[in-house]
Parts: sequence; structure tokens; C-alpha cells
Amino acid sequence: MLELKNVSVAYGSIRALRGIDMVVQPGKITAVLGANGAGKSSLLRAIAGIAPVTEGDLLYRNASLKPYPAHRRARMGISLAMEGRRLFRHMAVEENLLLAWSFGPRRTPFAQAVRSVYDAFPILGERRTTKAGMLSGGQQQMLILSSVTIREPELMLLDEPSLGLAPIIVSQIFDFITAYAKARGTAVLLAEQMAVMALRVADHGYVLRGGQVVMHGASDELVKADIVSKLSAAYL
Amino acid sequence: MTFAGQLIFAGVCVGAVYALIALGLNLTFWATRTLNFGQGSLMMLCAVVAVMVFDGGFNIYLGLLAGVAVAGVIAAATEAIAIRPITRLTGSMGWVVTTLGVGIFLQGFVSKFFGSQALAFPSFLFSPRDYVSVLGVRLSAQYLIILVIALALVLLFELFQRRTAWGRALQAVAADQDLAAVMGIPVRLVVTLSFVASGLLAGVAGALVAQITGTVDAAFGFNLLIFGFVAAVIGGMGNTWGALLGGIFLGIMEKLVGGYVSTAAEQAIAFALLMIMLAVRPEGLLGEKEFVKV
Ligand SMILES: Nc1ncnc2c1ncn2[C@@H]1O[C@H](COP(=O)(O)OP(=O)(O)OP(=O)(O)O)[C@@H](O)[C@H]1O
Ligand SMILES: [Mg+2]
Repeated sequence: MLELKNVSVAYGSIRALRGIDMVVQPGKITAVLGANGAGKSSLLRAIAGIAPVTEGDLLYRNASLKPYPAHRRARMGISLAMEGRRLFRHMAVEENLLLAWSFGPRRTPFAQAVRSVYDAFPILGERRTTKAGMLSGGQQQMLILSSVTIREPELMLLDEPSLGLAPIIVSQIFDFITAYAKARGTAVLLAEQMAVMALRVADHGYVLRGGQVVMHGASDELVKADIVSKLSAAYL
Repeated sequence: MTFAGQLIFAGVCVGAVYALIALGLNLTFWATRTLNFGQGSLMMLCAVVAVMVFDGGFNIYLGLLAGVAVAGVIAAATEAIAIRPITRLTGSMGWVVTTLGVGIFLQGFVSKFFGSQALAFPSFLFSPRDYVSVLGVRLSAQYLIILVIALALVLLFELFQRRTAWGRALQAVAADQDLAAVMGIPVRLVVTLSFVASGLLAGVAGALVAQITGTVDAAFGFNLLIFGFVAAVIGGMGNTWGALLGGIFLGIMEKLVGGYVSTAAEQAIAFALLMIMLAVRPEGLLGEKEFVKV
């Protein structure tokens, strides 16, 4: 589905990623783990087309993504949920969903698409006319995730969907992601600092440090290799 | 109709044109957080092109179409050469100088090729002597039609922005360009189209004002841009209803001061209002304080 070959990302003279090789498969959840500044967001943004790739190539369905700007990639089925509560704060919940749907492939009529969002997250249905900026952190995260799923993507890039949320809401969100990916065969690339949580739902994982892949493998192998405590050591 | 009533009516009509100019400024402000200070010259250019085509023996409406189209194209070109390269340097305010520069260049270009003499602008909507009776009151047909056209454009624009996907895309680009792009919105295209639209609005505004003044010259448009800018600030930068309210308020004040004090004081009143507004309520009458990212 997606294959990265020797990808490097740099912001001017700051090198965020060096020589990343990675494979993301359909219907599978691939976790990207790493501490603050490891380069997780840069990786996801590079795939989405909003971070500068200086080296290497990104193959999506066996064709290079490099000629395509971000909005074209979005229409090719790649959908990024950014970190930091990025949504249109001055627009109502339903306006955010409508906007996400309008510039997507629009395979399902909006009324039906929005109904399945409200079925998954009833609280969003109750607050459909509320400005997105007025939602609680957890509700905002649900809306960001729904703005991605309503586009019916083939590749979902999720940047720290658990950040700052209560554990109960985190499991709710992760359960939703797992069910969605399995049911539709969507490929998921999940960036997380919470390695325990992420490895519980992921099939594979890549560990980043200083912009490089230091380890990768099946989730249970990473758990066995005690990656969790190594990562927490890296925080210090 | 009383003298005061006539002044107020004229003020509302020219105020609606200021609202159009303010709307053009709002559009580019949304798309790029910059203002195109060359817009005054676009108004002039549209009127001059219309006169040229008309004097060449063609229909005036064809001339207006050509003028408005030229204004749209030049607005898009201004974005590409005078704004985009500058805003890449983050935080640079250089666009104030470069857009003003484009405007001054256009002024110079027109006065070189067409002289600095005022050109006669043909009446295309009624003649200055036509009147319409509304409830027994005689209103100038020209002023009235200008009011109707300007109001219709403001309303259409508001509908476009609230009710269409592209209108919402414009709001999305205004709020967060990266987020808009990953949602599949062609950000560059939206920016270019908003400059085209702002150029078209400037062109229409130029033609409407030239219709009242009856002449155009190279300097035409500069004062108008200032009035449009003040209208936008009074109403709240980026707010469509604010632009309309600000424009009409400014138009009425201008005409009342011009009628009772002196026409020489019309400009002073615009600057006075701008200063008062910036001191008392910088976000404008209808503007909201910007949502701050938490
Ligand atoms: N827009 C930018 N301009 C310059 N440097 C940047 C930019 N974005 C990220 N960086 C740098 O790139 C490196 C990787 O950052 P990135 O945001 O990808 O890390 P991350 O793993 O997502 O961290 P976090 O867990 O804190 O979100 C950091 O050193 C950061 O300072
Ligand atoms: Mg990050």
C-alpha cells in the first residue's frame, strides 16, 4: 500500500528524518513510536505532502507520491489527522464534517456519511451545531478522527490521537480505529508516544529516535524486546 | 426631499460602493492575511479600459466586460509577483510596499499612455438627469441602480460564502492552510481565485463610481481605496456585513460633512473615523476577536 524508501525530511538546516525505510499494509495498523522530537509528525506530514522531503521516495500503490501536492494526495485516499487539536475552530461540528466530506471522494451521500459518524460518536451528534473550538479535548479528538473517516480514506495517518485524553476515552478511540481498519481494509499509520496502548492495537511498529528508525517488527516482538521501558528511558 | 435626506440617500449609495471595495479587500485578507493596496489602481484601470473600448467604437458593455476582466487578471498577477514571494519570508510585511508599488506602476503606465487628462466616462446606466419616484420622492436613477448593484453583489457574496463548498473552502484556507490542504482543498487555486474575485469587485466598483463622477484619470481610485479600507476597518476586517455597515456609515458621514461643512473635509472625516475606530474598538463594529489557538 505505502512504501518509504530512504526518506529524509529537513526544515531548512534542521534535519528531522534521515533515511527512513518503511512499509504500511492495508487492513493493518502500523505504529510509529518515539519520544518528543523523534520525528513522528514529520513522517506523517511528509506522507501527506505538507513537510519537505529532501531525499528518497514515497510509493503509494506502487507509484511515487512526489509529483502530487497535499490536496491531490488527499483525493487519492490519503487522510491525515494532525496533532494539536487542528480543526476549524470557528466552524460548527457538522460544518467541519461537511467540509471534510465535500473535498473527499464523496462515495457515500453526506446525510448517510454523517449519520454513521454520529452512530459511532453520539456526543458529536448532540453537539452538531456547537463551534468545534468549544468542544472538550476528547470531543475534539473524536471530531478530528471523524473528519478523516468521513472521507473514506484508504490510508489513514493519525498523529497522537490519544494526546491529553483520559484512558477510558483513549481505549474508546483506539477500539474505533481498530474496528474501522479491519472492517474496511484501511491502512493505518498511528503515531504515538503511549507505546503500551499503541502496541496493544497495532500489528507492526517502528521505533524512531533522532529522526532514524532504531527498531521495527511485529508488535509482540517489540513488546518482548521491552521497547516500552526503553522508550520511557528515552524520555529522561 | 429635504437637503439632509438627499445627502443621506447619496451617502447610502456611495457607501454601498465603499462596501464593495471593502469586500474586495476582505477577500484577499482571508486568503493570504494581506491587503492589496493596488486595488485602487484596478478600479481606475477597469474604467480606463472600458472608455478605450467604447471610444474604439464598441458597445460600452463590452468595454466594461473587458475592463473587469483585465482587473481580475491583474489582481491574480499581483498575488503571484508581489505577494506570494514576500509572504514566503515568514512574518514579512513587505507586501504593503510591493502591492502599493504595483498600483503606482499602473497609475504611471496609464498616465504615460493616455495622458493625465481626465477621460470622459460614458453613461451606461441611465443618464444623470433620470429620476425615479419612490413614494412621491424623486431619487436619482443612477444612484439608485448603483445601490441595487452593490447590495446585490454583497448579498450574493455572503450566500456564496455560507452556502457553497467553495465558499467554505475559502473560510478553511483563511483559518488554516495546511489543514485545508490535507482536507483536499486546492489551497493555491483558492488563493488565486480570491484575488481574481477581488479584482472583479474592484473593477465593478470602479465602473460604478466612474458612472457618477463622469470622468476617469490615472489618479482615480486612490481615494476610493482609502474609503474602502476605512469601511473595512470600521465594520471589522474580514466581516461581510461589517463591510456593508461600515461602507454605508462612512458614505453618510462623508456626504453630511461635505454638505454642511465643506467637501474638502470629506477625506478628513474618513481618517478621523479610522483613528477613532482603531482606538476604541480595533476589531471593528461587527468583527470578532480572532480565535486564539489554545
Ligand atoms: N516546522 C518546523 N520547522 C522547523 N523544525 C521543525 C518543524 N517541525 C518539526 N521540527 C523539528 O523536527 C524534529 C522532529 O519534530 P516532529 O514534530 O516530527 O517530532 P514528533 O516526534 O512528532 O514530536 P512530538 O511527540 O513532540 O509531537 C524536531 O527536532 C523539531 O524541532
Ligand atoms: Mg508530533
